[in-house]
Amino acid sequence: MAKTEAPARTKINYLTALKEAIFEEFERDADLVGMGEDIGLLGGAFGVTDGLLDKFGRDRVFDMPISEAAIVGTACGLCLNGKKVMVEMQFIDFISCGFDQIVNMTATYHYRTAGEVSMPMVIRGPAGGYGGGALYHSQMNEAWFANSPGLKIVCPSTPADAKGLLKSAFRDPNPVMVYEMKELYRRRDIEEEVAVGDDAIVPIGKARVRREGDDVTIVTYGNNVYHALAAADNLASEGFSAEVVDIRSLVPLDEATIKESLAKTNRLVVVNEAPRTCGFAGEILARLAEEAFELLDAPPMRVTRLDTPVPWVKPLETFVLPSVDKITETALRACRY
Amino acid sequence: MRTGKPEDASDNVPQRPSAKLGVQDYKELLNQLYLARYFDVRLIKEKKRGRLKGTLYSSHNQEAVIVGSLFGLQPTDWISPIHRDMPAFFMKDFRSGWRNPERLGMSIQEVCAQVWGRTGSPGRARDNWSHIGSRRAHIVHSTSMLAGTIPAAAGVVLADRLRGENTVALTYNGEGSTAQGVFHEAINFAAVHKLPLVTIIENNHWAYGTPTELEYSQRDFARRADGYGIPGLIADGQDVLDVYDKVMEAVEHARSGQGPSIVECKTFRAYGHGDHDDDRAAKYRPKDEVEDGRKRDPIAVMKEQMVKLGYMTKAEAAMFAAENKGAGEVTDADFPPEVVAYMNEGVEFAVAQPEPPAEEGGMWVFAEGE
Repeated sequence: MAKTEAPARTKINYLTALKEAIFEEFERDADLVGMGEDIGLLGGAFGVTDGLLDKFGRDRVFDMPISEAAIVGTACGLCLNGKKVMVEMQFIDFISCGFDQIVNMTATYHYRTAGEVSMPMVIRGPAGGYGGGALYHSQMNEAWFANSPGLKIVCPSTPADAKGLLKSAFRDPNPVMVYEMKELYRRRDIEEEVAVGDDAIVPIGKARVRREGDDVTIVTYGNNVYHALAAADNLASEGFSAEVVDIRSLVPLDEATIKESLAKTNRLVVVNEAPRTCGFAGEILARLAEEAFELLDAPPMRVTRLDTPVPWVKPLETFVLPSVDKITETALRACRY
Repeated sequence: MRTGKPEDASDNVPQRPSAKLGVQDYKELLNQLYLARYFDVRLIKEKKRGRLKGTLYSSHNQEAVIVGSLFGLQPTDWISPIHRDMPAFFMKDFRSGWRNPERLGMSIQEVCAQVWGRTGSPGRARDNWSHIGSRRAHIVHSTSMLAGTIPAAAGVVLADRLRGENTVALTYNGEGSTAQGVFHEAINFAAVHKLPLVTIIENNHWAYGTPTELEYSQRDFARRADGYGIPGLIADGQDVLDVYDKVMEAVEHARSGQGPSIVECKTFRAYGHGDHDDDRAAKYRPKDEVEDGRKRDPIAVMKEQMVKLGYMTKAEAAMFAAENKGAGEVTDADFPPEVVAYMNEGVEFAVAQPEPPAEEGGMWVFAEGE
């Protein structure tokens, strides 16, 4: 698509941004097909693929049986034979039912064939807590896949990033997992103008500094970007200025941007929604402790979910998940160390 | 009764696809049975001499399933073999000529280089033994997750269908793997879309150390087809012609747009699950069952039919007596010289190849570029 001056656009929400990415890329690439539960006739459980079947037809959009393993596995075969596939997980929690096909079949394909076969597959789906979805509609299980070499992982927090990263994912020759924040799908206060076509592309593997500051770096992604920004407001009223880094991509991770920030603040707090043990925050902490120890004036700290499932009712859910208060408190400890 | 001709195997000779096969086809089939057997016993011997690493999952006594199922395929059809089907990798599209470089199958050189763990392997020896494949040759790359490649086989033929090409995919599975959820998921999906997917169940009566009665509540694994509303055929897995007939029936059904089938080939695992297990297999398998199971050697069964039809004399049939012998008893003289020569070409190529350089272990995790 030509890089022309984009006309002024109305602000769109996160879900519409995803939808635009899908429609634009389906239009651009005739080899791209979609597979998922209820993505056709219904248009997806959340409406992300609403209208896709009407526009692109039954040879491009497949309403699949409730069979996550077959969905991913069939997509794997399609990729082996020249197609590109968008796989929708109805909820990212259900991905465990297709786990083997992702980590053993798809993620390893390029490696075990010494580069003969690549897997241009996008696996996307609604993820994350804070909505009272309970144990099986609240998960952030990205660490399972970060621990499986061969998969790229992104987690956008804004409409522009949602569209831009999803478009990049479609054009990547590797399997890319897109963790969509369902609590952000229709959130009004984050709506923004988003570019069209190639101008909308956001490269995978680049972090974004969401707020600049000098005293502490808060590194996070997804829902917790907003909690971190609110915590930064709290810190400001305590006289500390926090820098908020939204990594956007977990694999590959933009360590350079985090290190640049640390060089300025010398204090690190990492937030992830997943459980503490072996969560991705631990990986970020480990890498920075190994590679940027001299930059740290305080122990690097984590704010994560407790090592529990995500419970249903609000007081319980709030108790286990990271929050503005927990981030504020931890960042203050880092600042005052 | 675990061996012998299944009750519902067809004896209606004039209608069988194999009725169209001539004497040359019979000779070719017999030679392929010899080759599959020789590949297996040669590797067992090489392994015993300490020349190979990894595990051999012997296809001894199950060769008719591989040879008979491949014989009628079109070159561009897809196959998805597993650990016990190693000869399938180089026997695919044999009709185009064993040594034809354009053939849509692997060469014996590639397969041997893989077994020896050398650079000439199609996957540069990154995964072991049967874990290879080829997009060019239309062979789905195999893994250790049994039944795990059936959905991929469904996917490749779906891609072909979307391009207007009419290929068929043949997947190989032990009867044990039919208990996997993904077996059901993939065939269910294929049945919904009438995909040209033929699922072969090699029922050798043992899933490693577990007998069929602890795997499935019915005797015939072909009955798994009933739940999907697709044909479930049963073949005598010791009779290469019966395998050919049943698989061709399923393949034509698939190619004509009528959808998937399951073909159960009743056979018998002559030795252990893998060569590491040959001695221990005696612990869990009744001795008389093993002796009975080894009685109907597919090479002998084919010879018998050829003698009956006048395609070979009894003296000719006795010339290369590879049948009913274990790997330790059989010698090169028990095989036709062209079979031994073909395998030798693969072995010579393999041993001349280097191991891959160490740093390749860190390569190809991700594909580069758009």
